[in-house]
Amino acid sequence: MDCVPAFSPGGTARGDDELAEPGHRGNLRQKSGRRHRRLARIARMILPHARRLSPLIGLALLAAFPCNALAHGGVVDDGDLCVINIGYLKAHFKIYVPEQRQHQDYCEDIPVRGESVFVMEYLHDGLSEAEIDFRIIRNVTGKGRFANIEDVTAIEDLESVTLRYESPKVVPDVFTMLQPFDEDGEYIGIVSARQMDTQKVYTAVFPFEVGYTGIGYWPWFLAAATLLQLSYWLLSRRRAPQTPISIVLLLAGALLSTDAFADDAESWVSDAGYFTVSFQSELQPLAINKIHGWVLHVENSGGEAIVDATISVEGGMPEHNHGLPTAPEVTAVLGDGRYRVEGMRFHMRGYWEIRVSIDDGAQRDSVTIPLHL
Amino acid sequence: MSDVSRHTRPWMVTAIAAVLIALAYEGWQRFAPPAAWSDDEINQIASLWIGRLPALPPDPTNAVADNPEAAAFGQQLFFDGRLSANGKISCSTCHQPIRRFTDGLPKGVAIGQSKRNTPSIVGTAYSPWLYWDGRKDSQWAQALAPLEDPNEHASSRLQVLGIIASVSAYRKTYEALFGAPPDLLVPEEVDRAFANVGKAIAAYERLLLPGESRFDQYVEHVLDGGDHLEQEFLDLDEIRGLRLFITDARCTECHNGPLFTNNEFHNTGLLSAPGDTPDRGRIDGVREVMADPFNCLGPYSDDPDPNCAELRYARTGVELIGATRTPSLRNLNNTAPFQHRGQLSNLSDVLRHYDQAPLAMIGHNEAKELKLRDWELRALETFLAALDGPIAADQRWLQPPLPSE
Repeated sequence: MDCVPAFSPGGTARGDDELAEPGHRGNLRQKSGRRHRRLARIARMILPHARRLSPLIGLALLAAFPCNALAHGGVVDDGDLCVINIGYLKAHFKIYVPEQRQHQDYCEDIPVRGESVFVMEYLHDGLSEAEIDFRIIRNVTGKGRFANIEDVTAIEDLESVTLRYESPKVVPDVFTMLQPFDEDGEYIGIVSARQMDTQKVYTAVFPFEVGYTGIGYWPWFLAAATLLQLSYWLLSRRRAPQTPISIVLLLAGALLSTDAFADDAESWVSDAGYFTVSFQSELQPLAINKIHGWVLHVENSGGEAIVDATISVEGGMPEHNHGLPTAPEVTAVLGDGRYRVEGMRFHMRGYWEIRVSIDDGAQRDSVTIPLHL
Repeated sequence: MSDVSRHTRPWMVTAIAAVLIALAYEGWQRFAPPAAWSDDEINQIASLWIGRLPALPPDPTNAVADNPEAAAFGQQLFFDGRLSANGKISCSTCHQPIRRFTDGLPKGVAIGQSKRNTPSIVGTAYSPWLYWDGRKDSQWAQALAPLEDPNEHASSRLQVLGIIASVSAYRKTYEALFGAPPDLLVPEEVDRAFANVGKAIAAYERLLLPGESRFDQYVEHVLDGGDHLEQEFLDLDEIRGLRLFITDARCTECHNGPLFTNNEFHNTGLLSAPGDTPDRGRIDGVREVMADPFNCLGPYSDDPDPNCAELRYARTGVELIGATRTPSLRNLNNTAPFQHRGQLSNLSDVLRHYDQAPLAMIGHNEAKELKLRDWELRALETFLAALDGPIAADQRWLQPPLPSE
């Protein structure tokens, strides 16, 4: 593994000592030379370790490359997200074994027997309105991981190999199912979604294993890494062990985070500059955990009141990645550019952003009102 | 050998010095006396003080909410086992006064096993939503559901009204409070009378409020200008825990206000209970409450001019998947196991769970990993014990009423 061209293994402790001998002290050039030599010494302390570890690093990099689109039929794991494709309807797919493996989720195969929880979180809204059914069967097709819908349809007595069948029903947002697995083996999951408007049925078929009856990829990587490491040790000359690199502990000072300062201005200009908005809260001062109303005042850039706009209000805490706990609405147009909004509620102290969208027929724009509670 | 050590000695000295500095810093953090409260911290602490609990909000949907006769009637019903299929299950079977109105079990056990952990009733008069998933929007509407749940009382509204009609003391009290008894053959009258039963029970439950704890006494002391350390209410570890509670541990993001709850719905990434799929929580609860005939906007509300802002502006959306209601942290003593299906059996496990902030099985966990040290988690636990206090109600409400018949 030739990955360190600049510094030869010869530049080690022995060489350093030659340079640091008393005979070399005395003039400026040699002093700066000594500084360079110190740097060189540091580099030489680190780099031989890099050489030794480079085979492993190389293999680790290889292994880290996502095993692109390892697909088990309808379930695809692209490294980041595990997705089940029920036709064109996609859902985020996870399998848990809570008692044995707690929060670890699996995409394809389940490593241990036990009570398994299947989770499909819909990425496509259409699944919330479709009738979904879910069947788990023992894989008797003889095709292992390559079983497909035709193989499943060809099974004569599906009921006899079915472990569980969830009959079709509409389940909005997320579908979950519990299945205890008492035996290692090969199974197939079959998920169908019937769209209520078109009556079209889409199906995903995903073969999976419980208990890893086959061999995964990792043992091969480990064997290869061990072989390469052994060959390196045997082939290279024996060296005195390098001094371990010292560990430098960094005491991080407390990072003082500066809060975004609330605008002192009592009105805020919209993104494209069309409108200026101010508000009056019926809860003075603003407090948490109390539902209340606001009155918004909307003007155009010339200071004229906007009297007949369509206004919507949303908001949330960007640092916490969640929205308002309610769905506020404009309930009255009070005239003179004022609008009553009801249903405002904050459930945490901190930094909130309220987003007011305004459409006056001619222009559409939005304004962000920052709040510190 | 000595050649080697000459070059490495400066590194070793630096390393040892760094380790010693780190140890000293850790030791100082752990054992130094807590610093005085900053103004902002005092504001935060005061916001948690029971002295800031507003007056009991009126419930305009319940005409007898503040009627003492209704409360007495409600108490009789609360402790009456006849309102169940086997004559032995009353509300107090699971909501036991001696355990702060919980039952010490992972899930309630009555006629069958309930789906979730029994929550406490104390202080729920202040919550706009009842149940872990918020599927009821008033105490009186909530009181009706267990009566008809096959796993809880397994009774029915006709059976309940039949008991009231057959027990003369109940019949007299019902007529005094609500007027003529219902014609049991007319569904509308049955439902209205059933709602009245809930309203009487709610009049009793409204009286169950949390009392002062050592923490509240400490806050009073500090607000009066007392020294933050020289007092007899909280010890040093509890004060350290309090500081963590309002700062690094981020508890007040949800456990805020004098009742230590924002009564909102959050997903904290809990594991499903054995035998259960992950709890869908508020995403189902919000649909149920909006469809509930006994809700604020329904025909059984006594409010002539319904506002019902909480119900009107309740939000839906994917943030609610797996989200359950923040419970109060007052009086946790004797209320284990914790969480909506009793998944965590002690406070140490609960705190460790929030420290780890695992990814949620369904939905999204808003919390982030806290990376607290062990002693910090223990300090938080001792602080939580300082939130225990009595129930601020007359003793007669905390035990079964004297038998009427």
